[in-house]
Amino acid sequence: MTTLRNLWAVPTARFALVVLAAVALLALFGEALAPHDPLRQYTDRVLEGPSADHLLGTDYVGRDVLSRLMTGTRLSVVGAAEAVLIGGALGIPTGLASAWLGPRLEWLTLRVSDTLVILPFTVFAIAVAGTLGNGLQQAMFAIGVLISPIFFRVTRAVALGLRRQQYVEAAELMGASQWWTLRKHIWSKVLPNVAVTAAQATGAALLVVASLSFLGLGVSPPAPTWGGMLASDLDYLAQQPWAPVYPGLLMMATVGSLNLLADAVREATGDAPRRRRKRRSPSASPSAGPSAAAPVNARKENADA
Amino acid sequence: MSLAVAPETEPEVAAAPPVPAPDAAATPRRRRAVPLLRSLVSTLVITVTVLLLASVVTFALGAVSDSNPAAAALGETATQADIDRLDAEFGLDRPLVVQYLSWVGHAVQGDLGRSWFTTIPVTDSIKQALPVDLSIAALALLLAILVGGSAGIGAALSNGGFFDRLVTLVCSVLATLPPFVIGMALIVVFSVKLQVLPSGGYVPIEQDPLEWLRFAILPSLALSLDVAASIARQLRTSMVASLRENYAVGAEMRGYGRSRVLFGHVLRNAAGPTLAVIGLAIPLIVGGAVITEKLFGLPGVAQLALQSAERGDVPVVLGTLLTTAVVVVLASLVVNVLQTALNPVARREGAHR
Repeated sequence: MTTLRNLWAVPTARFALVVLAAVALLALFGEALAPHDPLRQYTDRVLEGPSADHLLGTDYVGRDVLSRLMTGTRLSVVGAAEAVLIGGALGIPTGLASAWLGPRLEWLTLRVSDTLVILPFTVFAIAVAGTLGNGLQQAMFAIGVLISPIFFRVTRAVALGLRRQQYVEAAELMGASQWWTLRKHIWSKVLPNVAVTAAQATGAALLVVASLSFLGLGVSPPAPTWGGMLASDLDYLAQQPWAPVYPGLLMMATVGSLNLLADAVREATGDAPRRRRKRRSPSASPSAGPSAAAPVNARKENADA
Repeated sequence: MSLAVAPETEPEVAAAPPVPAPDAAATPRRRRAVPLLRSLVSTLVITVTVLLLASVVTFALGAVSDSNPAAAALGETATQADIDRLDAEFGLDRPLVVQYLSWVGHAVQGDLGRSWFTTIPVTDSIKQALPVDLSIAALALLLAILVGGSAGIGAALSNGGFFDRLVTLVCSVLATLPPFVIGMALIVVFSVKLQVLPSGGYVPIEQDPLEWLRFAILPSLALSLDVAASIARQLRTSMVASLRENYAVGAEMRGYGRSRVLFGHVLRNAAGPTLAVIGLAIPLIVGGAVITEKLFGLPGVAQLALQSAERGDVPVVLGTLLTTAVVVVLASLVVNVLQTALNPVARREGAHR
């Protein structure tokens, strides 16, 4: 709750939250709010510019662009969210586990993550479509698998750093079970990092989903998505050079807001204790002796808050 | 020349590794003696492992697929007898492990099997298509380094000034757009409005380099801007930090010119993290090449993979995925070596990874 209030105080974060709330509303109610049926073809009004009854004009078969944008929000956003969920579900547990596994297994998990990092999204998604069939679920699975190393690395880095903190070692020495340490000490520190990563990954996934629908992978054509709309606009650039602007702007706003939010969350949760630590350590280290005490205290407070 | 410094700096690090390296305790003396060789061997082991894992992932995709050569070639009319006959012909009735070993064994020798649909060797099809992607990707990488590098250096020099803010703004906007939208914008500006460059088509580079450039410049530019933005951002950050370091201030105080300090001292240290960014961007460029290829109608690997994917032609699809993985691994290896040559610190980190 405190985090959310801190976030609201940052102007960019407030802007991002408003935009994201609007996108979420569109995803939920866009279909109901759309002025026209997104699949209805007004065949006598093909490739028209903005007018009173088609606020953003019509596309190459006379479908209302505004309605398609509003209805397409759900598939675009839900697709990206699904991919991020799959990525998180694969990456976070393995990231935590790799900090505790023996060196051999740890090495292997690192190499698996290396391997997934080098596979390009589009080629892998094409391969998945070619072998497992072309559909939204397969495409999201492909993106999710390739996104998982991001979560894996972030989780692992935080967990590795925390494992050597004195309060975690102390808890383990006092007989706390690994599970308890994980839940009590590690998870609360991993979570903000995971939140930042998830926000960025959702933005990246939105772009990849759009690219895939541009290639004809994932969502099948008549159903509207942002990427699909951009793809169909391509053939009519000579007649309607401004058409890609609408889905492009919507996508920019969404991805940009996610990035802004990620930055704001990082600042609200990550930088605050570091700043506090810097201010304290000069006075604390000469008197208290062990120089490690100050940062540990700062982190402890943050974990309790 | 940085190689000569390594033996002196190495022992301190080996004595107190920042990360608990599992095998550090077992062989501390050997590492001290041959740090370079060791990091070379570990890079090699990692590369081979990654390639093996990539081949396993690729093969697994084919193994869980329910398409078979009979369905690909004969369609609905295939009988059970046809399926069995073609499965036997392509060796699909053998155990999976045997299939995998023979697939990898042949792949190492450059044979990725035959298409189920046309029975053309997969390697031949890829050989025809790959140069298109490689030349586009290489040109894109070059453009990205040139554009991103100069933007990053300029932004760092005008730290906080107008140019700096402009670069930051452009980078943030570019990061929120899928690469094909940038490509579409370029088509609108250069092909539709100005009509100076073709919006699609391709001429092989060995046929006519100038004509090739005319066709390749828009796809490469579309592909490069995204990466150029990351390069500019990283270079700016690390250069601003390095410019404040004591050695940079000191060099300037000792009377070296600004450009000498910048290019001789600061850029060299700032290049390491930037190279890492480039390494991470290689899969993006190769994957993005697929999209620009479709956007500009180039006859590359993506068209091959997409057509094969539509027909359920598994060997071709797997072949393209594996080839792409190998290309990315090799390119990353080059970046890694460059990074090591440039920066002794990276070399030490590499040994601990």
